[in-house]
Amino acid sequence: MTRKNVAVFTATGCKACENAILDIHYQVSSLARWAHFTFWPYVLGSSWEDLEKSDELDVCFFAGAIRTASDEEAALKLRQKSKILVAFGACAAFGGMPGLSNLHPGGESALCKSPSDDDCPELPPLRSRVAALQQIVQADYILPGCSPPQNYIWAILQSLVCQSESAARISFAASRLPQPIAQAVMAGVLPPGGSIFAGEKAVCASCARIKEEKRFESFKRIHQIDPDPGRCLLEQGLLCQGIATREGCGGLCTGAGVPCRGCFGKAGAVFDPGAKMVSAVSSTFDTTDGEEMKKIAEEFVDLAGTFYRYTMPAQCALLQNRKELK
Amino acid sequence: MANISIGPLRWQAEPSRVEIRQSGESVRSYYQVTAPRDVSSMCKGRPVEELPRILSILSASHHLASAVTLDNLFGVTPPPTAKNIRDALVQSLTFIHHARKLLFLLSSSQNPFGLRAELAVRAGTSPVAHHVLDEIGHAMALAQEAASILGGRHPHPLTAVAGGVSRPVKEIHYRRLAEIAESSLPYALRLRDIFREKIIGSGNGLYELMDLTVSPIASITFSGVEDAIVLTGADGSGSTTFTANKTTDTLEALREPWTHLPFVHVKGKTWQGPISDQSEGLFFVGPLARLNRCKPARTPQAEEERLHLVNSLGPAPHFSAIAAYWSLVVEIIQASEIMKDLCTEEKLTGLEVRTIASNPGGQHAHGALEAPEGFIYHHYQVDERGIVDDVTVLDAASENNALRCLLTQKMVEDAFEHGKPWDRAKKTIELSLLPF
Ligand code: SF4
Ligand code: SF4
Ligand code: SF4
Repeated sequence: MTRKNVAVFTATGCKACENAILDIHYQVSSLARWAHFTFWPYVLGSSWEDLEKSDELDVCFFAGAIRTASDEEAALKLRQKSKILVAFGACAAFGGMPGLSNLHPGGESALCKSPSDDDCPELPPLRSRVAALQQIVQADYILPGCSPPQNYIWAILQSLVCQSESAARISFAASRLPQPIAQAVMAGVLPPGGSIFAGEKAVCASCARIKEEKRFESFKRIHQIDPDPGRCLLEQGLLCQGIATREGCGGLCTGAGVPCRGCFGKAGAVFDPGAKMVSAVSSTFDTTDGEEMKKIAEEFVDLAGTFYRYTMPAQCALLQNRKELK
Repeated sequence: MANISIGPLRWQAEPSRVEIRQSGESVRSYYQVTAPRDVSSMCKGRPVEELPRILSILSASHHLASAVTLDNLFGVTPPPTAKNIRDALVQSLTFIHHARKLLFLLSSSQNPFGLRAELAVRAGTSPVAHHVLDEIGHAMALAQEAASILGGRHPHPLTAVAGGVSRPVKEIHYRRLAEIAESSLPYALRLRDIFREKIIGSGNGLYELMDLTVSPIASITFSGVEDAIVLTGADGSGSTTFTANKTTDTLEALREPWTHLPFVHVKGKTWQGPISDQSEGLFFVGPLARLNRCKPARTPQAEEERLHLVNSLGPAPHFSAIAAYWSLVVEIIQASEIMKDLCTEEKLTGLEVRTIASNPGGQHAHGALEAPEGFIYHHYQVDERGIVDDVTVLDAASENNALRCLLTQKMVEDAFEHGKPWDRAKKTIELSLLPF
């Protein structure tokens, strides 16, 4: 089997996605049997000239959001050079937490004036809005999560790089993956284009907390209560995004006693995560009285920053439809 | 005038490159971070209790620094078990942070991925065998498992909340933590041996690290015991202390138009720009800064290693890259020993892990933490509903930014003077920046 040419790159985000590849059960070095890392600036110091000189890439894992003109250029170059481009992690897939800056356009750009002295180098211009990779170029596969969990990283490497020839440690991942992807991973063929390496249902499907169909009378904030360890957090008054979020993490946050914030993006059947949450939450109010409902609703704070914590640029339908914001 | 650009640089958390302007006999470098982090616009308008999760984008330690700031904002004290859980998380993060840097150092002259690396080792052109790197990787995997148990997730933890942690450590998890703690110390000592053999004692190319040094500069550390931030003079003496809420009276961040990373320096002292070592306002943070406080290590085997360093390199303060790498080794041993001490049933288990907060006690809060990467500081300003109006974060990257610029300038001048090829200069710059 010939080794695949693989690239790893992060635009604007953090290095946790790349470190997560380095950390795959500490088997990363064994990947050398299947992968030739042609371009990996963070680990190998590869330059853009190296990329130009290299053969076509078989797979490129692209992490981070598109914040600057050079992020955008990188996305275009890597798309052009790669047979398969993967949006790796929540930033690349949906804009991630850097996308929250879209709520305050201008932000840091206001602080970065143009160079005063002629000699000093310029910075790549900032885009007016943070974008997800998919909003610039087409990605072939999506691996959500902030950062994606190890078992899914294995699953995607197994599928796209090793083609099922490595010792797989993906049983959990495969069990939560939609059937066509799981079958493709096991069979060593490429999954259907556009596949999202995560579950199909909502986080609630794999969350260990019990839903009792109880309603809540008032909204709570995480510092105000010590929630019952076994019961659904939403039913205890905490805004939990699990109801609108694609499953796959196994309910990591809710298992740790804090609500889901949606790093896997919206679940398969959800049109807009914020709209889904508003309808789910309002149907949980323990009242039908208009005035009381208004009072409960007034207690909620920062719905945009909570419901689109990781997905503002790519999954907020309201913003998608406002041309002037694109 | 010739313009040269080298980068992207390896191993930097921020996307960075070095831009060089050469004119006649003079050469000027710009260590440039090319993407903004802009955490303040991610945080403004959020409920303040969400900040530990959002700010973890900077590093896992910022999750903890943010929780400390929330403790102060809400005026709540975490129960002892919660403090131990947070401290154990710091130790696991220290192990991971330092081991990753040492792993990068040890694999710096080879492509760490497999076949070619093996061949290079066999041919004697590469100093470190592949299985050694795998061994370090395995130790990091265990530390990451500990961090996931303690923080709920790695590398962006979740469990630190105002007044403690969000859930107690379960019996089954405690047992696993104790196992991991037991096995980390032998790994740390093995890393020490590898470091001594492959870096200190080998005489190979990495030994040139010895030459990488800057002029003496001040350093800043945070002492949790004294609850004070300590500014130690460049010669290791004359330390001054201040509390977290006085941080912005003492330190300030400056921006240059050519980089997204600000420069934090001491207010009211001279500041002659990021490549001048003449500025009195210069300081740095991190493991070497802690070593330069000249205090004994907290644990016996780490202290033994610190004394070994002092015997070999002389008494602190030190400003060389080799001392900075060595201090990572001292601290990785220390973190393992503390972990072992913390992972007892008495210290980690117990259901009292949170003090419930009510409303913010004021509109401002400050928090400081001595993180694996160095002293970090948070300040939040909130409205009466606890919604964030403003955030100030001083992190190790911006505190060490001036030092990084100085080191880069030094390496660039050296390469220029000796006619070194720029690709070699790039490797030296990467190695000199890595331990800071
Ligand atoms: S998705 Fe999360 S881990 Fe990945 S780059 Fe973005 S912030 Fe970092
Ligand atoms: S809403 Fe949250 S806590 Fe409740 S079941 Fe769903 S994921 Fe679990
Ligand atoms: S529970 Fe939600 S926020 Fe947490 S890891 Fe899973 S998808 Fe991401």
